[in-house]
Amino acid sequence: MTATVGFDIGTQNTKIILLNNNNNNDDDDNDNVDNYGKVLAHAQIFSGFDPAQALKDAVAQALKTANLSQTDITSFTATGSTLETYPYPVTNVSIMSAITKAGTHWFPNAKTIIEVGAEEARAVKCDERGVMIDFVVNERCAAGAGAFIEAMARALEIKIQDMGPLALTAERASSINAACVIFGESDVVSLIHKQEPKSEIARAVYDAMADRISAMVHRIGVNPQIVIVGGVAKDVGFLTSLKRKLGVDVLTPEFPEYAGALGAALIGLSKNKTKERPKI
Amino acid sequence: MKNNTQQEKDHPSKKIMPETTLKEIKELNTTIKTTSEQIITQTISHLKKINPNRPQEMEYFDELANMFGKRTQELEQYKAEGKKIVGYNCIFAPLELIIAAGAVPVRINSGWYDTSKLGDRVVPVEVCSIIRSTIGAKMIELSPFLELSDVLITVLTCDGMTKLSEILGGYKKVWHLSNPRIKDSDQALKFWNEEIKQIKNNLEKLTGNKITTKTLKPAILKTQKATKAFRRLQNIRKDNAVISGQDALLVTQTFMWDDIERWTEKTNILCDELDRRIQAKEWICPPDTPRVMVTGTPMFWPDNWKLPSLIEEGTPKGILVADELCSSERLLYDPVGIDEWTMTDMLNAIGERYLMACTCPCFTSKDGNEDRINWLLTKIKDHKIQGVIYYVTRGCMLYAMEYTTVKRALDKINIPVYYLDTDYTREDTGQLKTRVEAFLEMLNTQIDL
Repeated sequence: MTATVGFDIGTQNTKIILLNNNNNNDDDDNDNVDNYGKVLAHAQIFSGFDPAQALKDAVAQALKTANLSQTDITSFTATGSTLETYPYPVTNVSIMSAITKAGTHWFPNAKTIIEVGAEEARAVKCDERGVMIDFVVNERCAAGAGAFIEAMARALEIKIQDMGPLALTAERASSINAACVIFGESDVVSLIHKQEPKSEIARAVYDAMADRISAMVHRIGVNPQIVIVGGVAKDVGFLTSLKRKLGVDVLTPEFPEYAGALGAALIGLSKNKTKERPKI
Repeated sequence: MKNNTQQEKDHPSKKIMPETTLKEIKELNTTIKTTSEQIITQTISHLKKINPNRPQEMEYFDELANMFGKRTQELEQYKAEGKKIVGYNCIFAPLELIIAAGAVPVRINSGWYDTSKLGDRVVPVEVCSIIRSTIGAKMIELSPFLELSDVLITVLTCDGMTKLSEILGGYKKVWHLSNPRIKDSDQALKFWNEEIKQIKNNLEKLTGNKITTKTLKPAILKTQKATKAFRRLQNIRKDNAVISGQDALLVTQTFMWDDIERWTEKTNILCDELDRRIQAKEWICPPDTPRVMVTGTPMFWPDNWKLPSLIEEGTPKGILVADELCSSERLLYDPVGIDEWTMTDMLNAIGERYLMACTCPCFTSKDGNEDRINWLLTKIKDHKIQGVIYYVTRGCMLYAMEYTTVKRALDKINIPVYYLDTDYTREDTGQLKTRVEAFLEMLNTQIDL
């Protein structure tokens, strides 16, 4: 069996996806054409100071899960941050193309794909063929991204995973400014001093972020279906605020944090079709 | 280096910048100048490296690219001979009048990142990098062009330029040139012509030379020839990928400080070489390379120069075939159109060329800044542009705000446009690269379909 690898080097985590690259009926294994393009393994590792090493570790981990060896890999496609040198021969694709591919793979009718990662947020507009026709990236500050939630959870002295459920219990929201992570944090501190309930402050954090993201999406147009991917898509507090701000439903895939990696792998798969496509 | 007390004596009350000791000025000047010269050398050798078959005639412009080099010595020489140097901050300054008065025009906008950080000592970081960088350059007397200027023509186009002229006014003699914000009214043109006349009078007083039909005609002919040479280069780039956008930008950029006649001659020689390359079919990129145009905030050598290389050296690659920047093509496209070589006619023609032909976003009309939109649409058609990058340095309000209108117009003709905001920092190239590459990928996919 052979596999195509896609990986996404994020500012916090490196994500990897292994896709079945077999499209040949004559394979020795019991593998058949139906499994072509199926996910064989996925892994996620902290990027840290040595992203190349993190990448190697992630590949090793995924290969182990899939019970494959490195020689079974036919291609590597990278997205996310670009490294000076890679431990493998890679083809680069931009994160915008990758999330477009993954978003429309999961939801074929998607017209808008939003990605909120640790330090960047972006949104892509695509046409009915799944071709990207416009995109927008948040301004350099991380106030519209995951790092903001992390900093705010720290200020509130709660665990980041508890913040979403806590925000949902709030009856109203306080107000904070999300122009900047650091100033946002001092806003939160003054709310704490005013003894506002933690739940309301938590909701204010999500509302402020959702404000920023929704303003960004408006620049390319709010076109349903809207799909959200990236690590922050798993945060129920943020999702609730975002849906409220946009006024439309927002779809979330099962593994939103793997959108970049999956998109890269899918692009790799379609580019490396050396054999005939399976007859369906 | 002129010392601070002398400056104080010249303009005692208008000195806005914080006290900087002579020692600090000297140290900063040396450090930043050294860095800047290194960057210039690196950029030029990089341009040579990425394109081994680069036009040989670029050599002249490469040398000119070092602003601390030969050209500065030439200006010093002129000054020693008693000629006046007239600095200007904006393309509205009437070059023909400066030349006719026997003075030497030179543009003083600053492209140094390190001096933009010094500008933060005087104005908030929200102010656009060009303004902050020019302030910083004045603070440490870095820019040879600004320092050598006997007088500055400061055009009050945007808020930044208006207040910059106040700050520079504490250190240099400044002539304000106020442009109307609408072009299509009688009173606007009347007002503007009066402004031009005032500049003419000032120039005559400064140089002691009367501007006459005899001196103005050759000056106009000189800039007309420069325009012609520039258009020749433009036309070559329309249909033939024989010169990179980066090289072409360098050519237009150096016009701002070079001797106009010599620049014209060298540009024509470069075009001769490019013509030979067309004959030999020596293209610099494959025919399906996405054709990109840049519009927005002006880009100034040497630090404010990130975008062209991102477009032409990333994966995938694009080719920059045109721009709509006042630091490049807007500078030179329009000639002064003369019907009769009388003084009144010439002055009116100059006024018209600088006001009516300009597509700066400082203008508006009942239909918005329609001249710029129309011009962008024309360029897109003529140069077969497939995507536009709208470049804005943070704090540049006019360009930032006009984006929405431009995008709407380009959406109508299905030309993708991407808003890229940055400032003079060198550190954000990684992020910018991701964005530019995504844009080029998008263009490639659309071209493939």
